[in-house]
Amino acid sequence: MHELSLAEDMLGIIKSTLKKTRPITRVTVVLGPLSGVSPESLAFCFTETAKLRGFGSPELEIRTTRAGMKCTDCGNEWESADFTPGCPRCGSWNREILSGREFYMESIELEDADEDQNTGDAEE
Amino acid sequence: MRIKTPVMRKNDDFARLVRNTLKQKEIFAFNIISSPGAGKTTLLEALAKRFGNDLAVIEGDVKTQRDALRIREAGCRAIQIETNGACHLDARAVKTALETLDIQGVKFLAIENVGNLICPSSYDLGEHIKIGMLSIPEGDDKVLKYPSLFSRIDLFLINKTDLAEHIEFDMDRAEKECRSLNPKVKTLRLSAKSGEGIDDLVRFLREREK
Repeated sequence: MHELSLAEDMLGIIKSTLKKTRPITRVTVVLGPLSGVSPESLAFCFTETAKLRGFGSPELEIRTTRAGMKCTDCGNEWESADFTPGCPRCGSWNREILSGREFYMESIELEDADEDQNTGDAEE
Repeated sequence: MRIKTPVMRKNDDFARLVRNTLKQKEIFAFNIISSPGAGKTTLLEALAKRFGNDLAVIEGDVKTQRDALRIREAGCRAIQIETNGACHLDARAVKTALETLDIQGVKFLAIENVGNLICPSSYDLGEHIKIGMLSIPEGDDKVLKYPSLFSRIDLFLINKTDLAEHIEFDMDRAEKECRSLNPKVKTLRLSAKSGEGIDDLVRFLREREK
């Protein structure tokens, strides 16, 4: 994928959330294994782009989730780290992907600790 | 501070605007994705000959106006987006194209994405369905190699069936792998060149458009 443009999009969200460009220390992102985004590439692109755009040297913390799968033959539900098919119980390839594509920003930590507060209007 | 903002929010906002425009104008839109050379434009030329002015096409390429010119010559309206480097279309580009393209009286909008099996899969363009296409010369093992795309499509097309007698390609295998990523996916086998299967595609699209 193109993690560089995703990093720019993330900084755009941060800027509009904070109402301006300012140094940040850490950002947390939730990333599902089926999202198609490379965590290492994203972290690198994010920290480098943040520096270039005046956001200081923030750390990117990536929380990876597991993908939820359900077998449409035997009803078994399981968690997976990727798209590999095959129900662990019956071996069937007939399955539904329930979750695993998440890609959202969860928190922003600012340099001035006393301005780090919960927003009342967290966006969904 | 805690937030819960999808990173794709900006694109999704534009996709919503596109979706609203299409709903208002009662246009059914499909986003067609494949490798370069799998036959997207040739397929759309075949559909242009069937649908005429009921169809309009947004063409996406890094460079050149070639594909839009081909579609117009085949008999329907088309506009070309040149991304000048981006490896995929995004909703903002599609929204801008819709502002210029004459969609008066159009029932179907085809969006031909940039040739690429990876990046276009994550971008909602405001379409009603995503179509993923694989062609016979590409090999029947590609579906699970590109799961991000093939798990997100509504219709899986195997194109260039006219070459099936010369090139080994297990169509059952490719379709099975596609269903393992999405049990609801519909599959069709066709040849944009010979016309085989095009009737089925037309029928599928007309059914969905209702």
